[in-house]
Amino acid sequence: MRQSRTIAAQAMTGLMRERTVMLVAVMFVALVFVSAYLGWAATTTVNAIYADASAYLASVGQPVPPNPVTEGSPLAILRNLSVYVSLIGAFAAVLTGTRLIEADRTAGTLPLMAARPLERVTYARGKVEALGRATAAIILVAAIVSALTLVVMPQVRVGAADWVHFVGFFALSWAYVMVFGLVALGAAARFSAPAAGLLGATVVWLAVTFVLPAITGNVTPTAAINPVSALAAAPDTAAFQLLGDLFGPLSLSESYKFISADLLGYLPDGIQPRGLIPPLVDLLLALGISGGIALAGCLALDPNQGGPDA
Amino acid sequence: MPDFSPILTIAARDAREALRDRFLLIATLALAAAAITSLATGSLALHTDVATYMAAKDTLIALGKSASAIASPEFWPLKLLRGTVEQLEIMGAVIALVAGYRAAVSERGRQTLALILTRPLRRWQVLAAKLLGGFFLAATAAGAVTIAAAILLELTSGVGLMLSDLGRLTVGWAAAVLYLSGIYTVGFALSLWLRSASAGLVYAFALWMLMVLVAPQIGDTMDPDNQVAGGVFAALSVPKAEQDRIKAGFATYETIRNDIEISSPTKHFERFTFAVLGIKDTYTGKPLGPILTEKSGDALFLILFAFGLGAIVLLVPINPDRLTKEN
Repeated sequence: MRQSRTIAAQAMTGLMRERTVMLVAVMFVALVFVSAYLGWAATTTVNAIYADASAYLASVGQPVPPNPVTEGSPLAILRNLSVYVSLIGAFAAVLTGTRLIEADRTAGTLPLMAARPLERVTYARGKVEALGRATAAIILVAAIVSALTLVVMPQVRVGAADWVHFVGFFALSWAYVMVFGLVALGAAARFSAPAAGLLGATVVWLAVTFVLPAITGNVTPTAAINPVSALAAAPDTAAFQLLGDLFGPLSLSESYKFISADLLGYLPDGIQPRGLIPPLVDLLLALGISGGIALAGCLALDPNQGGPDA
Repeated sequence: MPDFSPILTIAARDAREALRDRFLLIATLALAAAAITSLATGSLALHTDVATYMAAKDTLIALGKSASAIASPEFWPLKLLRGTVEQLEIMGAVIALVAGYRAAVSERGRQTLALILTRPLRRWQVLAAKLLGGFFLAATAAGAVTIAAAILLELTSGVGLMLSDLGRLTVGWAAAVLYLSGIYTVGFALSLWLRSASAGLVYAFALWMLMVLVAPQIGDTMDPDNQVAGGVFAALSVPKAEQDRIKAGFATYETIRNDIEISSPTKHFERFTFAVLGIKDTYTGKPLGPILTEKSGDALFLILFAFGLGAIVLLVPINPDRLTKEN
């Protein structure tokens, strides 16, 4: 345990020096601010439209429906965050997972570590711990910024139950980005070619984010990056039912967006999750499988492949 | 008169290498698979709509009513290409970026860049050859996807493509080549200029996210109609004329939203192709000439994006410290 902690601590120190990792992490935090602004701007605009529309409907004697924005949870203002977590957050995790292994390889320390009495499992545990800590730090910053936004924003009243959902959303987001970070870590350990981990995990992430939603629910790629449009119901046919049952469990981004919408209170009425497996179980299974990929990659790691002289 | 023969020689070498490279084949197949998946699912959804209409029509006739009570669905096969265009926008851009990275890293990794520069040819000629190779790759990959989509459209839509449709597809393909070439240039330039090619790839990915995903996403999300499932105006049951009056009161907001969107070359590509292919309702069924005139701004942006970035790459001299893999 002590050895894995030493590896994790060393890896964290290395990550802090990585300019590319820091850049993407800063980009993610900046987009958390953008998300808060967007939530506020869009909600304010819809409220103003509602006021105009209500006046018109009242003037022509028609019933005024309730404001669709105020009907939901105050947390819905953070809805864009689910998209940024699935885009930049996941990419930051992919990059972190890749660099955790590639930094050792390019520095030439892998053969040195292999010469020491160090089990591969211990090495894997240390790297996974470092990945967990690094992604948790990014998500924590996002949570703090979001909490401050909710506190300072006028007209937003967040109750105790909402805060529980808020914590649940960020825990879920951490689990989601960890899936991709672990895949990247495993791929970087397994394949010694430069950027192999980055490219391998990016391919998985692209398929999960943009291809699978099209298969399970005819969700176009642009709709997939809109928090509301991504939750469209699949066409009501036997073919889409079958595709949803088959590919739904693999469509992790849809599982993540479904639970996020539920937690943040903007899930449209009547929308059902894709597939036969409940979304939360699906994500937990994916987390377990990606952990297995990371472990298998580290166990298969050849310390003599790649490196500064390759 | 500059000598173009070394450029063609290196570009032809790159093309031969790319054709032997499994990456190009796999990447093009992956892009085609993603694009065709979107087309197939779109087609499936449309067949559902048609079946629903037919069932409703049969019910009305069985009840002795006129079928004209419900509007018959209009069918424009090119509209089914929405998902395909979007896959090109996103997945195609990633592949172009990685192809650009590989073009830079193939020379840096094998230390051949330094060797090439010892030959009697100018540095801009080497760069021009690499960019030409990228242009060829973009044309091949986008061409493969367009042909595959056209064949699938012909087979699944139930309506034959007309000559004018093929013309529109060709214009769309040309726009895709410009767009993908520009993205390829970004990947190539960053991987060539930065100290580490891998870092160049990461920066290129970060730029891709901002350019291809985040800027259009912000614009899309700021659209009030996208804040409520089904659209805010539909939820409030406000008639079209009143919608336009209300929207006029948010002109500044709409301008900011549009400005954010058009800062992204992806949005120009999307607007141009959606108009040319008639995917956007306002352009459906309109003749191509007036559409091209109206969308000339987006076309010009794409031309400047591809050739402007290429010109910048040609103007920036190759740094001798960047001739090898990692210096």
